[in-house]
Amino acid sequence: MEKDEFITLKLELFRDNKKKYVEYNYIKRDFDERPMALDVLLQAQENEIDDLAFRYGCRARNCGVCTIDVNDKPRLACRARVKDGDKISPIATLPKIKDFVVKRDGISRQMQGYNNISIKNNLNVEADHSYHNLTSCIECYACLDGCPLHKKNNLEEINNNPYTYGNPFSFLKLQRLYLDPLTPEKEKETIIEKAKSLGLETYKKEYNNLKIKCGVGINLKDEVIKPLLKVAFGDQIEKKNK
Amino acid sequence: MKNTTNIDILECDVIVVGSGGTGSQAVQAVAEEGLNVIVISKDPMSSSDTKICEGVMTVRESGDIKDTESVLSENIKLAGADLPDEKITSAFAKDSKEAYDRLRMNGLRPSINKDTEKPKTLAIAMGGHNKSRSVGHKNSGLAFGHNIWDTIIKYKNVKYIEDCWFLEIIKSDNNKLSNDNKNIVVGGLAYDACRGKLLIIKSKTVILASGGLSTLFFPKTDTMRGNTGDSYALAIRAGADLLDMEQIQFLPFCLASPPSYEGLLAGEPATASFLGVLRDNNNKIILDSVYLRTRAECSEAIMRAVEDGRGSPNGGAYLDMTANKLAPKSGEYFMKYLKGALPSAYNNARQALGKKAGNAEEPWEIRPGAHYSMGGVRVDEYAKAFKTSKDINNPEEIKGLYAAGQAMGGLFGANRLGSTSLTELAVFGYRAGKSAADYAKKEKITFDDRDFDESIKYYDNLFGSNGVEKIYKLKLEFQKECWNNIGPARSEKKLKKIITYIEKLEKKVKNVKINLERKWNQQFIDYIELKNMIYTAKSVALASLKRDKSVGGHVRLDRRASSIFSKPYSTVVNFDSRLGFKVTKLPRTRTEFKRLIIYKINEKSRLLKARILRYLPLNIRDSIIEKKYKKILGENKKVIKIEPGSSAAAPGESQNITY
Ligand SMILES: Cc1cc2nc3c(=O)[nH]c(=O)nc-3n(C[C@H](O)[C@H](O)[C@H](O)COP(=O)(O)OP(=O)(O)OC[C@H]3O[C@@H](n4cnc5c(N)ncnc54)[C@H](O)[C@@H]3O)c2cc1C
Ligand code: SF4
Ligand code: FES
Repeated sequence: MEKDEFITLKLELFRDNKKKYVEYNYIKRDFDERPMALDVLLQAQENEIDDLAFRYGCRARNCGVCTIDVNDKPRLACRARVKDGDKISPIATLPKIKDFVVKRDGISRQMQGYNNISIKNNLNVEADHSYHNLTSCIECYACLDGCPLHKKNNLEEINNNPYTYGNPFSFLKLQRLYLDPLTPEKEKETIIEKAKSLGLETYKKEYNNLKIKCGVGINLKDEVIKPLLKVAFGDQIEKKNK
Repeated sequence: MKNTTNIDILECDVIVVGSGGTGSQAVQAVAEEGLNVIVISKDPMSSSDTKICEGVMTVRESGDIKDTESVLSENIKLAGADLPDEKITSAFAKDSKEAYDRLRMNGLRPSINKDTEKPKTLAIAMGGHNKSRSVGHKNSGLAFGHNIWDTIIKYKNVKYIEDCWFLEIIKSDNNKLSNDNKNIVVGGLAYDACRGKLLIIKSKTVILASGGLSTLFFPKTDTMRGNTGDSYALAIRAGADLLDMEQIQFLPFCLASPPSYEGLLAGEPATASFLGVLRDNNNKIILDSVYLRTRAECSEAIMRAVEDGRGSPNGGAYLDMTANKLAPKSGEYFMKYLKGALPSAYNNARQALGKKAGNAEEPWEIRPGAHYSMGGVRVDEYAKAFKTSKDINNPEEIKGLYAAGQAMGGLFGANRLGSTSLTELAVFGYRAGKSAADYAKKEKITFDDRDFDESIKYYDNLFGSNGVEKIYKLKLEFQKECWNNIGPARSEKKLKKIITYIEKLEKKVKNVKINLERKWNQQFIDYIELKNMIYTAKSVALASLKRDKSVGGHVRLDRRASSIFSKPYSTVVNFDSRLGFKVTKLPRTRTEFKRLIIYKINEKSRLLKARILRYLPLNIRDSIIEKKYKKILGENKKVIKIEPGSSAAAPGESQNITY
């Protein structure tokens, strides 16, 4: 095989509770092909590792399940181009199950019942754009990377228990509900209480150092964290941060 | 049967299979009744076709107060070439408003029309719909995705298990409830991949909300990976009838390359606009007036070229829109239209095919892709599943089994109108939940462990199968065969070929290698999905053979289009472990001749007008088209979004009654 017919990638698999490194030569289908990470995984399964475990759904950056780490940074496998020498591994922020598959549901479980509130009756009320900005979230969990709160959870154990501490995604869910024009004022307190119980205060302390990045480009600090902190702890945070 | 290291036993009132839109609405309906629900989903919760869709939904009366139940119901039936079941189309029309409001109670927020105090509909009635009633949403399917997620985690009495493959519906051998005691559901089996366990779930009811079959044609599809036909395979193995399984909706203009974009939507017939044509590999026009054609006509033209060896390098043809772009006056409007009408499709095409193609300066290589299954489990308007014992017209209920959403059949027949699937899932998902809850409250069932024995043994023994065949390879090969033989272009020869292929494949499958590991065993997963794909593909092939004229979303290369005088019928496939597969015709009622003829004449005259337009002198043509764009684009020149798969996207589809 000529060197320019393939690109070599390092795959970090997870098997028998251990990391296992495999070099995979991706055979290019076109001279100038720059494959996505997902193409590499699909071809590796077809050609060499037929029991390779990884997630994908839509192949079009919509379903949010294919997140993996490329060179230790979270990316959507279906839309992350890879090059010679890149490393692909499971995302580091959730418990590993097998190869690239991680356990995801500790996060949804921590939100169980968060929205069990009564809403207003008149449904014909318009939500503004800040509300809709938040529903563009695809639940890819790229934002767990760099989250000081999520880190505090026990990320080794595999069970069906909810996580104790929150993360940008769970706060996004709360903020969306808060912004919903149909959520009655008195229920908003419950939402803020929930945010506090998930450890919102840590964000207050770490706000200036907070480096979280959304996989689809939502401005999480300005559109989720800041407004929540403001209602929960008053104006002084904003001033302090200036 | 006891809890062991490899097996867990659970119990509930209702099992819901699938956490898409249908699943979430079923969950809500049961949870409201205070019963215990277990919702199982092989993808992470809410990751489904519902989450990745365009988010346009049919809501009766939203755009026109004259939009009565009978108007909508009849519209669906006519579009489906008289194959739909009138009781089901009526239920659809009856519940569509309240089903939509339920989603809004759960947080779906459309734009509101300030004058009418109602959700805003798309400004033009979608083609095929006889009234304006399609409501779009910001962030498309993602808005629905959040909605589903919020609904499922809302209730205390709902337990959800994701990364969990539902394997089999279990019916009783020992219950004395009815004469035919094999017809009572007592629960199901599942594979919890993260914990590496088989689950025995004792439950009086099972609701199939597990979606479609387009993965049979992977990668030539725009749907989610998980659409391996599980709904149909599970149901037919449990004895249920499957309706109209040959009716698969293909979108004609999906991408053929590069590989990462293969199958994703590039455009719809409407994308081609007034002057777009289809060309074969020799640059010869194979279809003109593309924008007025039905999807089936477009697919037919492409697939005939491919069959004749005139196809493009990746097995498709070329959508040539350069004439639109080159027109001096209207060209500029065309680009606005192209970019705005189907933004997500345009972006796919632009990214995949490059800048020149994006500017419509060169033709796009396109190929049909699988999108939706109109056929499915035979149910009544309450989503109860049925099986034929003796008389095809008088099937009997399978007690405790329900199906809804894309899993069900009987609503759309030969063609699904745009934006109707989201309504289908909201209406029938909820109905299924209520039916299951009613039944579970009333009936008493004694669970007998022995009912589960045979199945659990079968699945348990698969781990460690020591054959030589690689299951993943078999799956990929099978997907190619499905495309070639039960895809958008079929013939008797092809259909018989796939049936023979399946017989050989079934033997190979017995000789596969599956390792012993219990936790997330990918070979085991691929095995059970391939098994479901086989049952489903066989049902599609048999149903297609029973259809003696060309009707619906695919082309029969060897059959003429059904004539206006032939009587409409549905196909019914069922399976019995002793007798094998059986396929029968189910007669349907035909709409009045007068109306059918009006439809037909309409169709011809539209096409004629478009043809005349093409042969007018260039400058006159350009001015006429410019005017047309101005009308579509409206005053603020903003294009109205249309839904892929909808009939607005294929205006020709509105007269799609090709009897
Ligand atoms: C790109 C695209 C755009 C579309 N746009 C529109 C639109 O604008 N308007 C419209 O009305 N329709 C649209 N549709 C169609 C519509 O989205 C689907 O038909 C509809 O969402 C199907 O819903 P469902 O709940 O029945 O199935 P899905 O939403 O597909 O859910 C199926 C669920 O079942 C689970 N599952 C499957 N098998 C198993 C198993 N064996 N065990 C456990 N779980 C299982 C899956 O994990 C998933 O949770 C579109 C479709 C696509 C692909
Ligand atoms: S907020 Fe952004 S990064 Fe986080 S889950 Fe949602 S889409 Fe992904
Ligand atoms: S596969 Fe759906 S987001 Fe990547």
